[in-house]
Amino acid sequence: MTVFEVVKASLVEVVPDVDPASVTAGRTLSDLGCTSIDRAEVVTLAMERLGIVVPISEFRDVNDLDRIVELLRTHM
Amino acid sequence: MSTVAVTGTGIVCAIGADVPSFTTALRAGRTGVVGTADGLAAPITWWSFDDAVAGVPEPLRRRAVRAAARAPQPVRAAVAAALQAWTGAGLPGAGIPGDRVGIVVAGHNLTARYTHELYRTWQERPAYLPARFALHVQDTDHVGTLSEVLSATGEGFTVGGASASGNVGIVHAARLVAAGAVDCCVLVGAVTELTPMHHRGFAVLGALAEPGGDPAAACRPFDRDRRGFVPGEAAAALVLEHPAAAARRGAAILATVAGYALGLDANRLADPDAAGQARVIRAALAAAGLAPHEVDYVNAHATGSRLGDETELASLHDVLGAAAGRPWVNATKALTGHCLGSAGVVEAVATVAQLTGGFVHPNPNLDRPIDARIRFAGPGPEPARLRYALSTGFGFGGINTAVVLARTADGG
Repeated sequence: MTVFEVVKASLVEVVPDVDPASVTAGRTLSDLGCTSIDRAEVVTLAMERLGIVVPISEFRDVNDLDRIVELLRTHM
Repeated sequence: MSTVAVTGTGIVCAIGADVPSFTTALRAGRTGVVGTADGLAAPITWWSFDDAVAGVPEPLRRRAVRAAARAPQPVRAAVAAALQAWTGAGLPGAGIPGDRVGIVVAGHNLTARYTHELYRTWQERPAYLPARFALHVQDTDHVGTLSEVLSATGEGFTVGGASASGNVGIVHAARLVAAGAVDCCVLVGAVTELTPMHHRGFAVLGALAEPGGDPAAACRPFDRDRRGFVPGEAAAALVLEHPAAAARRGAAILATVAGYALGLDANRLADPDAAGQARVIRAALAAAGLAPHEVDYVNAHATGSRLGDETELASLHDVLGAAAGRPWVNATKALTGHCLGSAGVVEAVATVAQLTGGFVHPNPNLDRPIDARIRFAGPGPEPARLRYALSTGFGFGGINTAVVLARTADGG
């Protein structure tokens, strides 16, 4: 699984009514119906699945999928 | 006192995932008590939230899945029980304004097992603490989640009273409706999940039935061989409405809350007091305008505790006097286990099922009753035309409650 796929799978799990086909590069989490708490949950789940730790302060204001993927990659 | 209508009931427990299956188990006297790694218990095991909400009308179902599918089990069960009561009461699409709908959640310390189970993860990998922890760890997560699912914007809160929490919830939900603060109140008795630490804590007080022999025979309220309570898990729900509001929308009234009382013993211990219990039973009957000989049925608190069951019978004799042998008496905890925070609501759902179904459920383990003067239900269900029922609830710390439920005059 790529980092993007891990984030996508986490997002679909946290927000069950999102259409998986709509989770594509370039989208923001708020576009996809995520609250800020959903975002924290998506990032935490993705970190756990990837076995990495990103400090909370680094993802606090990150809202688009591409930047989340990039941030996770820098900690791998 | 003005009466409040019960227009919907719901339950998820060890012996039923909805009211019809629960009622069947009541009639059969089937117990949910089994042996578990932590000791005897009546857990919710085979249950799935997705299945439970599958038949709920949209958009309620989608809201329930979004709000609760990933919540801890007690919140999921609370939502499922509330949706049963809500849909049973005909409320989807009834158009009651959100600010006229209240939410009361009975029970406290509802997140102990959630925290306990996360503790190992926390010690080993603190960065993976679920991001919703700060929400889920609060008992009021139940209130927020239920309000979101039901679009309720009226009053809402949790109430606590140890093992009497369920009845404390009925008292406060009925007061909200009677006072006109809301037209409709959804009361949910929440699942109390214990940890091995809690089992040990209750056991050291001598309160728990210890494993040994057939688990199905372990919970024995009012029996000479009773040996303590068996913890059970249940979420149970009632929809309470002002009778006029229910009549306006043509809702069927299942029963009414005709009276209630709550009082303390000025005692912090696990030390039941017959005088304190008698005081609230007497007050609840007075609030309902009932004489002792008018009580048809007692759903006893009856946990199977050695001292507790005896004390409760003393309080019934005190209040009912010469009429003490008249009402049927049974103990739902023999079937469901002692559901602690939700017990009073579970027993209200059981009482409404018996009032409307015209029966009293068996006392399956009552082989040698401790009191020959009381009309205990036997090993099988008894057909019974019941009008007035008393349901008691007593908690550690001397919290005494009694609720009177009445079948409506039209037989509903």
